[in-house]
Amino acid sequence: MSQVGVDEWVARAEERRERRGGPLGRAEAAWDALPPVARLVLFAALVASVPFITDSDFVIRVGVNTLLLGMLALGLNIVVGWAGLLDLGYIAFYGFGAYSYALLASDQIDVHLSSWLAILIVVVASALLGLLLGLPSRRLIGDYLAIVTLFFGQIFVEVVVNLDRVTLPGSDSPIDITGGPNGIPGVDPIVLLGFEFLTPTDYFYLTLGVLVVLIAALYLVDNSRTGRAWRAIREDPLAASLMTMPVKRLKLLAFVCGAAVAGLAGTIFAALQIGVFPRNFETPFLILIYAAVILGGAGSIKGMLAGAAVVGISFELLRQPSDASWIFYGGVLLALVVTVRPWRVLAAVLAATAALGLALHALLAAVWPEAVAGAPRADWALSGAIDNWMALPADPKAAGNWAFVALIGVVLWLTQASRRTRLLVLPLLLYLGSFVWENRLLLDPSVTRLLMVGAILIVVMSLRPAGLFGAKRIEVM
Amino acid sequence: MAPLLELSGVYKAFGGLLVTSKLDLVVEEGEVVSLIGPNGAGKTTVFNLITGVYRPDEGSIRLDGRELVGMAPHRVATAGIARTFQSLRLFINMTVQENVTAATYGGTRARMWQSVLRTPRMRREEREVREIADDVLGFFGERLAGYRRLQPAYSLSYANRRRLEIARAMATRPRVLLLDEPAAGMNPRETAEITELVARLRDERGLTILVIEHDMHVVEGISDRVVALDHGVKVAEGSFDTVARNPSVVEAYLGRVEEPA
Amino acid sequence: MDFFVQQLVNGLTLGSVYALLALGYSIVYGILKLLNFAHGEVYMMGAFAGYFVLIGLGGPASPAVPVALVLVLMFLAGALSAGLLGVAIERFAYRPLRDAPRIAPLITALGMSFFLQSTALLLFGADVRSMDTSAMISPSTGIHVGPLDISLVRILVIVSAALLMVALMLFVGRTKLGKAMRAVAYDREAAEMMGVDVNRTIVAAFFIGSILAGVAGVMVGLVFDRVWHLMGFTAGLKAFTAAVIGGIGNIPGAMLGGLLIGLAEAFSAGYISSTFQNLIVFGLLILVMLVRPSGLLGTPALEKV
Repeated sequence: MSQVGVDEWVARAEERRERRGGPLGRAEAAWDALPPVARLVLFAALVASVPFITDSDFVIRVGVNTLLLGMLALGLNIVVGWAGLLDLGYIAFYGFGAYSYALLASDQIDVHLSSWLAILIVVVASALLGLLLGLPSRRLIGDYLAIVTLFFGQIFVEVVVNLDRVTLPGSDSPIDITGGPNGIPGVDPIVLLGFEFLTPTDYFYLTLGVLVVLIAALYLVDNSRTGRAWRAIREDPLAASLMTMPVKRLKLLAFVCGAAVAGLAGTIFAALQIGVFPRNFETPFLILIYAAVILGGAGSIKGMLAGAAVVGISFELLRQPSDASWIFYGGVLLALVVTVRPWRVLAAVLAATAALGLALHALLAAVWPEAVAGAPRADWALSGAIDNWMALPADPKAAGNWAFVALIGVVLWLTQASRRTRLLVLPLLLYLGSFVWENRLLLDPSVTRLLMVGAILIVVMSLRPAGLFGAKRIEVM
Repeated sequence: MAPLLELSGVYKAFGGLLVTSKLDLVVEEGEVVSLIGPNGAGKTTVFNLITGVYRPDEGSIRLDGRELVGMAPHRVATAGIARTFQSLRLFINMTVQENVTAATYGGTRARMWQSVLRTPRMRREEREVREIADDVLGFFGERLAGYRRLQPAYSLSYANRRRLEIARAMATRPRVLLLDEPAAGMNPRETAEITELVARLRDERGLTILVIEHDMHVVEGISDRVVALDHGVKVAEGSFDTVARNPSVVEAYLGRVEEPA
Repeated sequence: MDFFVQQLVNGLTLGSVYALLALGYSIVYGILKLLNFAHGEVYMMGAFAGYFVLIGLGGPASPAVPVALVLVLMFLAGALSAGLLGVAIERFAYRPLRDAPRIAPLITALGMSFFLQSTALLLFGADVRSMDTSAMISPSTGIHVGPLDISLVRILVIVSAALLMVALMLFVGRTKLGKAMRAVAYDREAAEMMGVDVNRTIVAAFFIGSILAGVAGVMVGLVFDRVWHLMGFTAGLKAFTAAVIGGIGNIPGAMLGGLLIGLAEAFSAGYISSTFQNLIVFGLLILVMLVRPSGLLGTPALEKV
């Protein structure tokens, strides 16, 4: 018989290696050691303190949107992370929930139901919609489901935009159901227990409350027969069915639950925005939800919250050039710190980059002044430094475009290069990247946001396919 | 006494390829029957037909008189037939414990809302589930016990993975257990343990067992009866000695009977 | 009757384009079991390449070289740039993920699609570019016999698409590389053990699929006169649907699916309403999925248990 003591130590070696070392790892271990209720309470308390720390309406709004993204990530996690299904039209349920609430609580068709009733109806209706979409899809294997749901998501927006001139049989004049491209304005605020939710702060606490309840419910489901069955289906649907689990029914259940969560989030969103508009539910937002789920490492509740926090906050900050620059340079620095070791090498690279920039700036100022005639686009803490370090042409667009193409070329080349080459070229890469950032990306923040989401997804998947916070998984092909 | 598991006239072809032809197979309660035959003889297909993965083109499969043909696989499993797989199909990223508790799904009835609210019925079922897990994992002694229960399945050794698969099948509380090459890839010591294991499953747990196996020493050690298949057709049936000496069987194997230890 | 024929022609033209695009999806899926969401963007880039060549050669109204040569160069540019882009995407984004969990390359593909769309928006702007084909080729050239009223460009599209598809079928069926592609699609490991250079085969698959997409892009630019950064997304989705309807991984299926979708779209736009044509295509998809989940010409995947 084996010596259990030695055996156990060897068997757990993998576990120890997986646990991140250092203070971050210890913090994570300490967190995991707390009982679940304590973790939830701590989380709620931390988040609830945000409106006390800041006065800014903008920050509160970012907060609510991030909390909503958290809800959506958790809902999508049921479908993708637990049951292992690929729903690329998830955003349609969110939109459906928002629009349905708007129809039940606004002047659009002159119905003003009480909030309890409206929300209940919307959640049930969303679940039914999930059922409707899920039923024909039961027999579909993963990839087919992806197509059908993707199309469904596209159709939703199209249908909504075109339902503003619907002629019902029996009547002559067309009626406007969804407000077409302009959406439905003037949605009633949510009123619960006599309290009217009006300000963003009100909705912040409402969303937090709903999120906390959702987290608790999901945790309880995860640790029940349904959660186990979902996870088994994700591993191996055939084996699961042969071990008594009704796979098709469970997939449908996951789909329906995901849809209901999205519908619920939609009602809060509609009330918060005091209106619903088709552009809120287009594919870019779906990508954001997926980014949150994937970055968080599909499958774990805390991963979803972490992913939503990172994606939601970054995305909001990328709206304004001044805030966006923090994200960009901060992100680059973080990436460098994590990948370039030891410290001396990192310091050398940074110094070289700074030197390169200053030298180039001086050279250009002497030889070709138009190249440095422009001013920094973003007004933030380091604007002054950037002005002296970076070449800022007066007319940056063309140069920026070419630099962008060059940047992609250099990145692709470096993926194949040796470590030494990479380190040597790194200062040039950093300079080039900053050039593109300052001169081109900052000019079009809305495009930049989407560009960066796409780029981040590609990079993260390439480096850590399990997601930033995901657990190690073995996939059987 | 009526047999526990009965296949009559089972016929299955894929396109033009005949896999099982007019198969009659009977397994009495408490028996261990071995299914032997060269590769491609259709043995795993029989398992797939019994468990509902494939549907026979003709014939009937009855468990204690109840017709299984046409039933979805999960219903067949709940009816009392569990199996292991030729190439392991564990829930590889789930823990040992979870692999087993997941398989108790069919034996429990708590709905999702009851799980969320942790109703007394749900809590009672979860206790039962844990007891079943203790029971089936305990059957394997120290091997799947203690700290190992919380380890992911991918961290187990090959032999332990095979044991876990059997434990998982046991957790469905079956009446009939289908073991597909349980000794595949095992060294002689582990193979001897398998032989002992199958006997224990029959004697201690009252299970009826149908085994596909290539290792003739194992077949000899465990079987009450042996059935030989070749190209989807039954060519011999009887005690191990009878079947081993049957000329068609010898011919089908062409010398495979004398397997190295 | 005239109207019917007109819609038929529209449908065939559209269907040819969808078929070319769908082929790219099917070929890549067949080999890698990957849904290449970025394929639509490859098509879009091909269209832009064709557009820039056209402008570079002096523009549709006053080209520096004969119109026939302009067209050839445009198609070449579209095909080559798309082909190279497709190969680059495979090399840098998908290849590292060959053995990763299935969802990883899918997410990468989604991210890549987004990235390319945004890049096009950044570099080329949001304005819809027009190839102004009627300035280059007078719309009166073509066949105008009885109910048939087909412009030369449409004839060109339909005929060249058909030729390309025939060429592809021959290639896959007869050549060594084509056989290699089929082998890798069937069982990658076994093909590798039989001496097939899997990487080269996969690159070839991407290259061929992307070339077809690039050609389709230029065709769309010529026939429908709109080249913009989002054109890849909707066309890609429909072509994808076409590939799925035909049975994904199946080459004749992709062609059939493409034609079906094109005809469905043309007829529903003509006879019902153009607003809901996408809804009708979606309905078609659901219908096929319900009746034949593995597509019209697809074979149901048999799982070895």
